[in-house]
Amino acid sequence: MGALHLGILALALVSVVVSGYAVWRDKPLEWRFSLPAAVAPVGAPVFERVFDYSVSEGVAHAPAILLEEGGARIVWFEGSAEAQPDVDIHSVELTRGPDGWQAGESAAYFTRDDLGAAMEPRQLVVTLGNVVENEAREASVYATVVSVGGWAMASVAEVEMGADGPVSARKLNLSPFLNRSHLVKSPMVGYADGSHALPAYFEMGGTHGTLVRFDEAGRVRDTRRIAGPAKMIQTMIVPLDERRAVAFLRDFDRSDRLWVSRTEDGGQSWSVAERTEMANPSAPVAAVGLGDGRIVMVANDLEGAGDLRLLASDDEGASWRVLTVVEPDAAGARYPMLRRVGDQFLLTYSHDNKRGIRAVVFNATWVAAQ
Amino acid sequence: MSGVLANIALGIVLAWVVFALAGWVVTPGLAVGLGVVVALAMVGLARDTLVPGGLVALLAPFGVMLPALALRHMGGSLGLPVVAFGTVEMIVFLGLYVAFLAASMGVLPVDPYRLGYAPIPVGVMVLAVCFYGALTGNPFLPLVAVLGQVAWVMGWGSSNWFDYVLHVVMVPVAVIVLVQRALGG
Repeated sequence: MGALHLGILALALVSVVVSGYAVWRDKPLEWRFSLPAAVAPVGAPVFERVFDYSVSEGVAHAPAILLEEGGARIVWFEGSAEAQPDVDIHSVELTRGPDGWQAGESAAYFTRDDLGAAMEPRQLVVTLGNVVENEAREASVYATVVSVGGWAMASVAEVEMGADGPVSARKLNLSPFLNRSHLVKSPMVGYADGSHALPAYFEMGGTHGTLVRFDEAGRVRDTRRIAGPAKMIQTMIVPLDERRAVAFLRDFDRSDRLWVSRTEDGGQSWSVAERTEMANPSAPVAAVGLGDGRIVMVANDLEGAGDLRLLASDDEGASWRVLTVVEPDAAGARYPMLRRVGDQFLLTYSHDNKRGIRAVVFNATWVAAQ
Repeated sequence: MSGVLANIALGIVLAWVVFALAGWVVTPGLAVGLGVVVALAMVGLARDTLVPGGLVALLAPFGVMLPALALRHMGGSLGLPVVAFGTVEMIVFLGLYVAFLAASMGVLPVDPYRLGYAPIPVGVMVLAVCFYGALTGNPFLPLVAVLGQVAWVMGWGSSNWFDYVLHVVMVPVAVIVLVQRALGG
């Protein structure tokens, strides 16, 4: 055995030691979903608009809900047009007091330059897109960032927020192709050990949903695909019990139907997505489980101007009934996000073809009364 | 740490690009020198300007392989001993890597990229690379694989080991080398 082979043998031994350390340190992932307490109708029915914001020019679109002490924050992207290099993230704080919900002043939440400077390693950020809360960490969000090209060249960045903007940020490592083409839209999914998974989606070529799992340091530890014969994006996952969940998917092409995939092993594997009978004009949906197989969903219809409807299911999404049309008199209400805030539900969406943001709260009593 | 390593990798890649361009008109030694000067200037003095920021946004994570290939190329031109990759070896690599990229991007129903997040598959793959290096008598790939594994475990960059040992820039680089060999260059 020559020096060369001795050297390679030494490298192999180093690798064995490093592997042993990595295996010892690695914590197996929990694959049992966390289920929030079932929501029961209590008190008087509530359905009220709590925030209404419009821009005179440009776009304000893709609102997300970040839960905060005493209320919530709604964040959205705003600029001259979608995917343009003047788009920044804006937000408004909603507080819930004895007199109901109060909206503060909307303002910039963070800018592209803020984010580029906070990024590790420092890098150019050209435009920003959908944001969702990082529910595993305080004051942290996942943002869709683009440095080159359009949405198909986007990456997902974890952004830690301070009092004056981003303190640190790093891109999640989700793709071997220059770490490109993943975006976020829907809230995270909780697991029984307190960890969370991020529903992301891959938008280049053969699109698919991705369930992203993290290690304790918040680094990507595993991913699972949610795919089908259509161009599946913007996965919205609703756990049904510890092991079962349903994922609603938008078809990026115009099949004009909502697609569904299911898991029975906590998200480790997902059925091939199937086309449902529910109309959908290639638009994302938002949904929340109420427990006992009940789901509330917000989704656009093919009727009217793509009416944004609030729907309910009592059989795990097998059938739906319409509760109301959220914006009966306004066209272009889209991109809903729906989250539970205490005993109420907060719904936000963009309106008038991306020209503003609105938010509505309702409760289980109102749902039961429809 | 990942920021420091990214800056080092950026500098090496910038030096490589300058070396490759300047190498057409000046001696290898001068081309390497020019590359080092430009890289130091860009990373040391102009890191927050558009070009370095854009290159990091475009190419990061750089990993270990890309800067290692750059150093190997420049070192070889200066007369350091380098074991060349075989033509068949590069053709097989190119085919496997393109298939890997396609599968990871959803063209195939399997996702090999996710193996790069898990310690045991990574450990097996690194040992397989070491075995291959021993068979071919080339320590370059085992060195890159193990350095990549150490950096991956330490969290000095990507959370996926494949990002340390592969980079899509290797596709055009491999194609250019193969074309040069086909043309007798």
